[in-house]
Amino acid sequence: MPLEPFTSSAPLTMGVELELQLVSLSDYDLTASSPDLLHLLERKPFPGNVTPEITESMIEINSDVHTRHAELLAQLQLIRDTLVQAGETLNIGIAGGGTHPFQKWSERRIFSKPRFKEVSELYGYLAKQFTIFGQHVHIGCASGDDALYLLHALSRYVPHFIALSASSPYVQGNDTLFNSARLNSVFAFPMSGRAPFLLRWDDFANGYFAKMEHTGVIKSMKDFYWDIRPKPEFGTIELRVCDTPLTVERAAALASYLQALCRHLLERRDTAPEDAPVEDDYLVYNYNRFQACRFGLDGTLVHPKTYESLSLREDILTTLRKMEPHGAALGGSAGLAHLVEVTHTGSDAQYLRDQFGNSGSVEGVVDAAIHRFRGR
Amino acid sequence: MPDILVISAELAWPCAILLAWLCGEFVHRWFGIPRISVYGLVGFGLAQSFPALLGTDSSSAVALLANLAFGLILFEFGYRINLHWLRINPWIAVTGLVESAVTFAVVYAIAHATGLPSMTSLLLASLAMSSSPAGVLRVINEEGSSGQVTERVLHLVAINCVLAVFVFKVIVGVWIFRTSGSLPQAATHSLFELLASAVLGAVFGVAVPFVLRQLGNLARDGTVAFALGVLLLVAIAHATELSPVLATLTFGLMARHRRVAFSRTERNFGGIGELLTVLLFVFAVSTLTWERVMAGAGLGLMLLLARFAVKTACVAAFAHVGGISWRKGALTGIALSPMSVFVILLLEQARYLGIVLVDELAALAAMTLFMEVIGPIITQRALIWAKESSAKEEH
Repeated sequence: MPLEPFTSSAPLTMGVELELQLVSLSDYDLTASSPDLLHLLERKPFPGNVTPEITESMIEINSDVHTRHAELLAQLQLIRDTLVQAGETLNIGIAGGGTHPFQKWSERRIFSKPRFKEVSELYGYLAKQFTIFGQHVHIGCASGDDALYLLHALSRYVPHFIALSASSPYVQGNDTLFNSARLNSVFAFPMSGRAPFLLRWDDFANGYFAKMEHTGVIKSMKDFYWDIRPKPEFGTIELRVCDTPLTVERAAALASYLQALCRHLLERRDTAPEDAPVEDDYLVYNYNRFQACRFGLDGTLVHPKTYESLSLREDILTTLRKMEPHGAALGGSAGLAHLVEVTHTGSDAQYLRDQFGNSGSVEGVVDAAIHRFRGR
Repeated sequence: MPDILVISAELAWPCAILLAWLCGEFVHRWFGIPRISVYGLVGFGLAQSFPALLGTDSSSAVALLANLAFGLILFEFGYRINLHWLRINPWIAVTGLVESAVTFAVVYAIAHATGLPSMTSLLLASLAMSSSPAGVLRVINEEGSSGQVTERVLHLVAINCVLAVFVFKVIVGVWIFRTSGSLPQAATHSLFELLASAVLGAVFGVAVPFVLRQLGNLARDGTVAFALGVLLLVAIAHATELSPVLATLTFGLMARHRRVAFSRTERNFGGIGELLTVLLFVFAVSTLTWERVMAGAGLGLMLLLARFAVKTACVAAFAHVGGISWRKGALTGIALSPMSVFVILLLEQARYLGIVLVDELAALAAMTLFMEVIGPIITQRALIWAKESSAKEEH
């Protein structure tokens, strides 16, 4: 089946998807409770959308399409409050965080839905190890060409989003020394990584995608686990590298940062052609991504064009300052201010490590994450 | 010749445990039946075949080990209870109270109607309130289940056990004080005993995690320290005639709220915990005799059916307001089936009352045997029907 045409959508609109952990408040392990929680949520109208995920200890929520940070944040907070209340009735804690600090992948149960069962059979332990929790941000694009331009122009900023959202230092009970260990699980999939360097939608859809489909390796866009991928049916690009932050406030802030960046990049396309994305930008891509995963805000980047070494924290601060006029124009200043704060106080990964120091156990880490998500 | 007899007596318990374990593994693998059901069955069979060899009194080494095993299970049980939930969703506590109270009333009414003396009927009714924490927890761990039925069963068992111990103590108090005392006096005395037990457990629950934090390296030392804490706690409770059930349960509860790592790899207290569980379940039925079981079979079965129906109906009745489907509510009630009176009796002043009660109450023997074997199977089925089991055959 050929790739569907790229639906045009209002530029710079945004939407957020969050994969959330369902934790038993009895023993702080993941609990296969999504059927129970969805059953209870069905009784009342839900302020957004909630769907089951591949393992029953995970749910995904998504916001509507928004243009302003404040509206997005308000909806995410409403969704959070509804979820937390339902969870408390059922002794289920809801938490952000890219990984659960001590779950055993062999104990996860796959949600009974044909596609999930197929994926589980194909990927074996990878599917269960895939019990990781990410935030996806969609940005609306007027055309497929715009989408591909933004997708490649944004590659330079992917480490920013990894470092700012990083919240997965613990895996299987141990400190991985990574700030985002979650992405290591994503990289294990054969179709992960970066999208091919194509800037015209026609080349992408009728060239690359058609060929890949012909090989039989993939059937739809869903089979690509790229860091940023186009979503033609929504008319968006989807940034997929973020860990689910511990709070919805940070999730909304990350979305408005991406929105501001896209506005900036679209303006630059016409005024600064020397900054246009080129294939060679990807020479340093994997290295920079590793730095962000491993060291978070303390990482070191190599600039894709000048090859100079940059402190990731400094680079983020510089970029955030540059985004201020765009933030003001889009109503996203509060979100950008939130992220400036993060570069000073430290990421969620740092917060979780501090909690381990305070409580002395990974259970204490989970408990702290649950409290932080509640926002009260 | 006498040498061989002595040797065989010494070998009796190790052999019985080995045989029960082997049968448990094979039957579980072939038929998917919970291991503890098989332990009970094997234990009962052996005790009937070789009554002299497996006979024990309550002060023997085997009884002590069984007490420790039960204490460990109760500790782990308490460790999984979230008191905060009972405050947020009061319907859980209401379900527990109603379910226990109606079970008590119905069992008393039936027992009394069939001609048992009222004091005996009351004791029987108080014991029928409780579900077996050991049976339920073992099945949940064996199935690796999680979900609302699992969570609610755990919390409801905790509630009905504490209530059962309390009511049992009050009735015993009345029995003892019958000549001189009064009901309020008995109730106060029992309440004091329970409070003292809870305080004792709570002190351990604060002290052990504190010591562990001082030692550092929690992951390695936690299990042994908690096991030793339970051992000491059970011994103290016995020496001071406090309630070991409540003390170990409180220990677990407090330790949980101190949040010291007790990770999933150490479920059941690891391999040694499993070994003690085999012993516990073999021991629990070894005191029963075939004659008594047969004599009480009729009344026992009737009471069990009534208990089953009451628990299922009561828990299901509060399912919707409590936030789950009717179906899951009914399955939660069904999963409350396991009952292990003897372990409770053993721990709660068996020395001056238990034996008398067992002799009088053939029905109790029948109920215990039946529920030791069938109860865990019912719980297991309920978890599988609720799709909360993660055991291999489900995939």
